[in-house]
Amino acid sequence: MAVETMKMMGFIGKNELMNKILRQLVLDGSLHAVNALVRINSSDFKILPTEKNIEALEELPFLKSYSAHRDFSEDEKIITGLMQLFGIEPQVKLEHLLQDYDYDKFIKEILNIDEEIRHTTEEIQERERTIEEKREYISNLSYLKEHQFDMGRLAGMKYLTFRLFKITKENFEKLKKNYENIPAVVMKVGDEGKDVVVAIMTPGTLEETVNKILDSLNYTPLALPDGYGGLAFEVIQELEQKIQEDERSVEELKASLSHYKEKYASSVEMAFSRLQLEKQVEDLKSDAALGKHWFFLFGFVPENRVGELKAQLESSFGDDLIILVDDIAKSGRGITPPTQLRNVKLFKPFELLVKMYGTPAYDEKDPTVFFAITYMLLFGAMFGDVGQGLVMLVAGLILEKVMSDGNFGGILARLGFSSTIFGFLYGSVFGSEDLIPALVIRPMANINTMLVAAVLLGVLLLVASTIWSILNACIQGNIEEGFFGRNGWAGLGFYLVLIYSVIKAALGGNSVSPVSIALMLGFIALMVLKQPLAHKIEGMERLYDESAGSYFMEEGFGVVETLLSTLSNTISFIRVGAFALNHVGLYIAFETVGKMMGSQVGNIAMLILGNVIIIGLEGLVVFIQALRLEYYELFSKFYKGDGIEYRPVKLKGLAHAHRNPFIIIAH
Amino acid sequence: MGNSLVYAAVNTKIRAMEGDFLTAADYKNMLQKHSVPELARYLKDNTHYAEFLKDVDVEKISRRELEEIFRRRIISDLDRLIYYFKRGYKDFVRSLYLKYEIADIKHLARLIFNGSKPQDFSQSLTFIGKYSRLQPEKLFAAASIRDLITSMEGSEFYPFVKPLLDGRRENLFRFEMVLDMGYFSMINQMREKVSGTDYKILQFWEGTVADLYNIQWIYRGKKFYRLLPEELLNYTLEFGEELSFTKRKALCYAANLEEFYELVQSTGYQFLFKKNQTQDIYMERRINRYIYHLLKALNRKYPMTIIQTICYVWFLEYEIKDIFAICESIRYRITPEEARRFLVRAF
Repeated sequence: MAVETMKMMGFIGKNELMNKILRQLVLDGSLHAVNALVRINSSDFKILPTEKNIEALEELPFLKSYSAHRDFSEDEKIITGLMQLFGIEPQVKLEHLLQDYDYDKFIKEILNIDEEIRHTTEEIQERERTIEEKREYISNLSYLKEHQFDMGRLAGMKYLTFRLFKITKENFEKLKKNYENIPAVVMKVGDEGKDVVVAIMTPGTLEETVNKILDSLNYTPLALPDGYGGLAFEVIQELEQKIQEDERSVEELKASLSHYKEKYASSVEMAFSRLQLEKQVEDLKSDAALGKHWFFLFGFVPENRVGELKAQLESSFGDDLIILVDDIAKSGRGITPPTQLRNVKLFKPFELLVKMYGTPAYDEKDPTVFFAITYMLLFGAMFGDVGQGLVMLVAGLILEKVMSDGNFGGILARLGFSSTIFGFLYGSVFGSEDLIPALVIRPMANINTMLVAAVLLGVLLLVASTIWSILNACIQGNIEEGFFGRNGWAGLGFYLVLIYSVIKAALGGNSVSPVSIALMLGFIALMVLKQPLAHKIEGMERLYDESAGSYFMEEGFGVVETLLSTLSNTISFIRVGAFALNHVGLYIAFETVGKMMGSQVGNIAMLILGNVIIIGLEGLVVFIQALRLEYYELFSKFYKGDGIEYRPVKLKGLAHAHRNPFIIIAH
Repeated sequence: MGNSLVYAAVNTKIRAMEGDFLTAADYKNMLQKHSVPELARYLKDNTHYAEFLKDVDVEKISRRELEEIFRRRIISDLDRLIYYFKRGYKDFVRSLYLKYEIADIKHLARLIFNGSKPQDFSQSLTFIGKYSRLQPEKLFAAASIRDLITSMEGSEFYPFVKPLLDGRRENLFRFEMVLDMGYFSMINQMREKVSGTDYKILQFWEGTVADLYNIQWIYRGKKFYRLLPEELLNYTLEFGEELSFTKRKALCYAANLEEFYELVQSTGYQFLFKKNQTQDIYMERRINRYIYHLLKALNRKYPMTIIQTICYVWFLEYEIKDIFAICESIRYRITPEEARRFLVRAF
């Protein structure tokens, strides 16, 4: 349960080795890059003036950001073209990336392959184009299938022209309403939703006029083939035959490429992997800074990866690469480090829900464990049922296996488990309370106890989250919030006294004791005066950050809000009890309807339907209600979640280097 | 009931915004100016345009920059109004942008046709993509009309321009015509998004405008371009208040101008043709003035309807048009007395 410790690493290397070094960093996959110039200009950046570093130091004032972003789209086009031709699946393989190679030289070879087979590929493309064209002719001719037109004679007419075109229905209406003025024979031959296909015959001398008219109707001409005779369907048959011939010759051409495939397939496959790597490298470069002879690159690396990465790079590049490793600066200075969460398997899926609220800041405590435990607790308490819980547990386990991102299934399984436990405590199986005895309590029989218990649970959770908030404030050395804040010691004291008084009043019916009132007023006073008090303790001259007037105005409202929200936050937990009751109530409703069905079959069917609805609908509602309690009631007390997620540069679709130690032979 | 709820808010807003329109005194003062910078300074010091001119050095301003600045006012005002509408009405009010967007696309097409470079104009064509799903950067990268059409793929305009591409018939004239036809076809569909009284008002209002445009189109096509009657008819707008298809057809097939005038006499639009020397020069202004007064009348007759919003946008457009008319007359040294005859607004 923690936030992974990060180190700031710097890589300063010779420019000519840049690609190779960056390649290795991408393959390692643990560097979260930051902009090099920002890093160099930050106050905690230092580099020792040793002999090894001296050349690099001289470059510092003249660094520029990397701007020549290389475009790989041409390479990509050729490589994907070749892959399609040879039928190679796009897949990144590590084995192609480990060798020492020069990308430009390598890609030249690939271009040569492309050159060599270009003649054939172009012919294939040409054939495919004519096939496409013929298909279009066929679809155009199919409009004329039912008519007894000899296509050859239509095309060969001396004084008349015949054409086929498409216009919208709207425009066809215009044409129709004005038939008497159109110097042509117009025939509607097809209807396609919004469009109409029309055949037209005009005297050649009037063609220009007709063209103008058609233009004003925004027509799309449909091409008809040249040099074919016979009726439309005969022409279609003929064209289909020709298409088959063409397809055969395409196959033959492709077959003729097979020996090229044998020869070059592995190179092309290699090219794809290398291209992907090179693209990542290029992306990484945008964070680098360039000097005349040296480049600078910085980023965060998890502490446990630093040693291995450093050793690996040093063994590969020796003196040509300077590696800096720095501890992260104390909060407030330097660049914000990214957060990588580390949790045991039981709690890991809940990271998803925590991140939905916000990623914890690097110097904040990771609330995942707290969240996971309380969330399971709240869900189980609201939805306690052995049978339904087991259904969710099984569904969750299946989903975890099936889905690529198993987090959701994981959450469902854990919630199901919690629900099962509470099912035993409540003695409920698929809603029925007759099958097993309740280990602790039957909710419906003890309504008041349930509701009071829920509120007490709320009090516990609220106290816990306030303590958490105090711990966070301690880590950050924030006296103002930690001691005097609403979620600090003062707030906690106030809350406890308030709860104590309420309980005492409820049990004994006595009025609140003057001591309690004095204590509460005292805590409120501390909260109102939090800023001046804190500044006094810290020995600062100014007591207020802004003007005293506006400070007290704000804090005055703050107190009112504290009073209101303290109570409402606590009462809010009553829903935990309410939903536990609701769960039973919903079942009773279905049970009653089931009995009214009259037959045994109907009764069972109704109970099954009821259970499905309860799992689906109520499960979802409870899921959301519990989440709401977590986010709104608890997280708002202690959790900021304004961190940056750890996103290392890495190659997608590749198993990562931590598990594949390897050596790259340096130049 | 629902209407008064919606329009109570938006009309109050419009009333307030109308307060920013130029007054008759402003027009009179502007006509007295001797240069564009002087005019710009007047607008900056005395009118609501100050807000848009505040970061501008009026001494160096060109007419084009001024135009650009004022067009921004249309956008900012319309955006404020759109906020008040919901669902279908929102779409309808947004479609008021369509006119300007199409004008910008046509302008761009002309620039591309004349071989201008993107950096010369990408600043000024602000309406592109304002209503539609067009991506301006893509359009600006086009080097020919054909490119331009391809770059419009995926937008609302594409179905209208695509046939040009398929038939390899693309040219400037057809491109513009097709867009215009597309505009009116889209406007026709937009009307379906409003209901009840609003629908009836729109039908009357848009129908009247369509009539005016149709007459102007047929007249010009006959007199200047000598288009075929079939072409003329096919390019007329498919809706109208007074001019039914039969009437439009008769106008298109009129044997000569005399016969055309004769036919127009029987419609309510005979005022467009005074049959004197200035008839063609003032036709545009006559149409605009007619629309202006029609809008005013509708505005009074139907409070709490969509017409107030339309009115605001059109009046704003006319105001800007008039400012540029004044600009032009200053540049061509036309006397104030003569210049005011070119303005839409009479004062």
